[in-house]
Amino acid sequence: MGYHLRKVAFYLAALWAAVTLNFVIPRLLPGNPVDILMAKLQQRGGSVDPAARQAYETLLGTGGRESFAQEYLAYLGSLLRGDLGVSVSAFPAKVSDVIGASLPWTVVLVGLATLISFALGIGLGALVGWKRGTWLDSLVPATTMLAAVPYFWLALILVALLSSGLGWFPLNGGYDVVLDPGWSPEFLGSALYHGILPALTIVVSSVGGWLLGMRNMMVSAMSEDYVLTARAKGLTGSRVMIRYAARNAVLPSVAGFAISLGFVVSGSIVTEQVFSYPGIGSKLLQAVQNNDYALMQGIFLVITVAVLGANLVVDLLYGLIDARTRDRSTVS
Amino acid sequence: MTWSGKLGAGLGLAGLIVLFGLLGPLLTGDPATIRDIGLTSPGGDHLLGTTIIGQDVLAQLTHATRGSLWIGVLVGVMATVLSGIFGIVGAYAGGVVDEAFSLFSNVMLVIPGLPLVIVIAGFVPADQRGTWTISLVLAITGWAAAARVLRAQTLSLRNRDYVAAARVSGEKTWRVICVEILPNLLPILASQFVFAVVLAILSEAGLSFLGLGAADSSTLGTMLYYAQNGFALQRDAWWWFVPPGLIIALFGGALSLINFSIDEIINPALRERPRRRRDVVATTPAVADEDAVLTVTNLNVVYQGAAPVHAVKDVSLTLRRGEILGLAGESGCGKTTLAYAINRLHRPPAEVTSGSVVFDGVDVLALGPEELRAFRWVRLSMVFQGAMNSLNPVTPIRAQLQDVLRTHRPSMSTSDREARCVEVLRLVGVDPARLGSYPHELSGGMRQRVMIAMALLLEPQVMIMDEPTTALDVLVQREILNEIKRLRDELRFAVVFITHDLPLLLELSDRIAVMRDGEVVEYAPAEEIYLRPQHPYTRQLLGSFPSLTGERGALIR
Repeated sequence: MGYHLRKVAFYLAALWAAVTLNFVIPRLLPGNPVDILMAKLQQRGGSVDPAARQAYETLLGTGGRESFAQEYLAYLGSLLRGDLGVSVSAFPAKVSDVIGASLPWTVVLVGLATLISFALGIGLGALVGWKRGTWLDSLVPATTMLAAVPYFWLALILVALLSSGLGWFPLNGGYDVVLDPGWSPEFLGSALYHGILPALTIVVSSVGGWLLGMRNMMVSAMSEDYVLTARAKGLTGSRVMIRYAARNAVLPSVAGFAISLGFVVSGSIVTEQVFSYPGIGSKLLQAVQNNDYALMQGIFLVITVAVLGANLVVDLLYGLIDARTRDRSTVS
Repeated sequence: MTWSGKLGAGLGLAGLIVLFGLLGPLLTGDPATIRDIGLTSPGGDHLLGTTIIGQDVLAQLTHATRGSLWIGVLVGVMATVLSGIFGIVGAYAGGVVDEAFSLFSNVMLVIPGLPLVIVIAGFVPADQRGTWTISLVLAITGWAAAARVLRAQTLSLRNRDYVAAARVSGEKTWRVICVEILPNLLPILASQFVFAVVLAILSEAGLSFLGLGAADSSTLGTMLYYAQNGFALQRDAWWWFVPPGLIIALFGGALSLINFSIDEIINPALRERPRRRRDVVATTPAVADEDAVLTVTNLNVVYQGAAPVHAVKDVSLTLRRGEILGLAGESGCGKTTLAYAINRLHRPPAEVTSGSVVFDGVDVLALGPEELRAFRWVRLSMVFQGAMNSLNPVTPIRAQLQDVLRTHRPSMSTSDREARCVEVLRLVGVDPARLGSYPHELSGGMRQRVMIAMALLLEPQVMIMDEPTTALDVLVQREILNEIKRLRDELRFAVVFITHDLPLLLELSDRIAVMRDGEVVEYAPAEEIYLRPQHPYTRQLLGSFPSLTGERGALIR
């Protein structure tokens, strides 16, 4: 089986596992989510007709009226139709609409912050490894310490210092509420301005991991024969560092992207909450606090699919930057 | 800081925090006592001030530290056990079990942890969310990365001889795992445990801060939750909000220091080195032979350290134009160090302590960094020992050949560059269609030829070849040697050929230098060495090779 095919097959298996997990969790854990949802729906003035109840039961379990297999098939069917139920916290909006409205905020914020953090960590890590024995070495313990700081604590301290204290950045939110969301320059500028501090939090807390990993690999790569050859060839220092040492040292970081992305996504959920950012992380917590089980499930599914998708893309890129993987037959 | 310094600092700091959590609650008062002195700043009776309802922050901090550490340890133990089961047992069992366990670990790894924890915590009613439930959920979502590391390590251990021996001798599986494999995994297990503890404390703090933590516990996270809901920062009550986060950060930092030192114990290459010294400490005035292209005079190279190693002692050599100079000696005699020092490729702690290297009128040891760079490969190129690793594994051959031309002949056009690469590959007998290949797609002999082609690119005056044929079989070796001789005759460059194979040098070279323990013990034309070896060591070397007729020592005259 080719490298690409194997990777796609793996992520399909992971996707199936996530979907199934999503199906099993509400059925195995204590509590009676459907009843709670129906009660909430009633409070909100929603229809309490059997159809609404049945829709929730498809997602969260019938309490043993139907067999597991029947429930599972019905659940998969509604997922395929894109039907994730009705949100009670944002009633009468559908879960898919709530997610659709908040997802772009998170994708842009977390996506950009992750890319910046990756590029910064890899770049600095390569430099710290290359210039070993200079003052740059002290960057390693410093950034690792930052990685051990809780995201939300750092975020709140930054808000207290830079927003409340100095007034450089807005306290919270994703944009100036006076503006109408749209593609106008004012709105985009405001969104960018509001995104700086949350992005800074994510970058500061996650850059240390990339830096440390890259630095260690760089140190190993520098003792490889091909780096010695490159020096003997009289290539410029920057070319040896980038094309020979760093080019090889970056491979494990790319291969380990999955692990790191998980941390970033986890951290950004809490960060969004601190900044009341209109993204999917805040929505997830809002759903938990309001027992909006359907929305919770839907958001977990979407986050998982997004993370799996990002990892698939990275894995396919890995095949491009390391020719050896394409010829290997073992699953990594 | 050395690794032991880091370990000491990390253990010290972590130990202090653990003591604070263990003993602190015994020394401070009741953290829940409400007083009417809300938000008093630090000082007097309350060293860290009070919360909004007058609780003592220091007392709360000690209890919260204890709670967080307890959860960290619980999760650390559970996650390490889980990763051990899925990583070690799977890899040891092999076959379908390994495939299944590995697939399961990888799937768990790519499913984002905290969202899953939040969803699970969300479904469990608050009154049923205890410390154990939260710890279990954190462990279940946090073991996979460690399992992957352990699996890779176990796979490599499993194939070691002593493990295979234990298996063959019929030891029970659990015994082999516990006695033969586990002790070797201890540093990794320790590092993964430390990592799991930090991750658990951070995740729990996040969950509690969101109000989803264990209902029956007080941790640093719950403290931050109350501080945030009491608007601690908005009321400038930093003493309430800052310390819990600081303890988490310090504890995480201390554990990372411990992990750094474990990393350095596992991988000595990561240990800190002294600052890069100068590669040339002192030289003696250059002396050059008129018709020589390369003159080495009284060169000394020392590996500095606690016990300095004098690797090259007072070596003097001259290489004439078009000459092949053989450098013979057993491994460790300083041949390679000498070759590197001529091109100043030796790395710290090696230093040139005296002597001179003159290349066609240029004092090599006196060149500045940029001059040295421009000198390398243009005047003097090298073919290294083991071409397997001398080529960059991630770029095609073409890029590695063109690199040289791009750097040293910047004015060359793209088509000329390509033509030159094709030309040198033809010279060494490699199909130019191979330009697009990656090193791993070529055989050992072909890679060695590519290296030689690369060394020919700029038509240097001298090529240093360090055991270029040792890793190859006899037929390929023969072909490559003939190639080198032919090219030398055609292109008139001089060669320094380094090998431990004296008979080969007798046939190939014009003159031979025999090295032993860093010294040149004999230096004479090849014929002289063959017919009238002077030094006992040379005779010993000649005697150690069987002749074709099978009589031992037949080469001795």
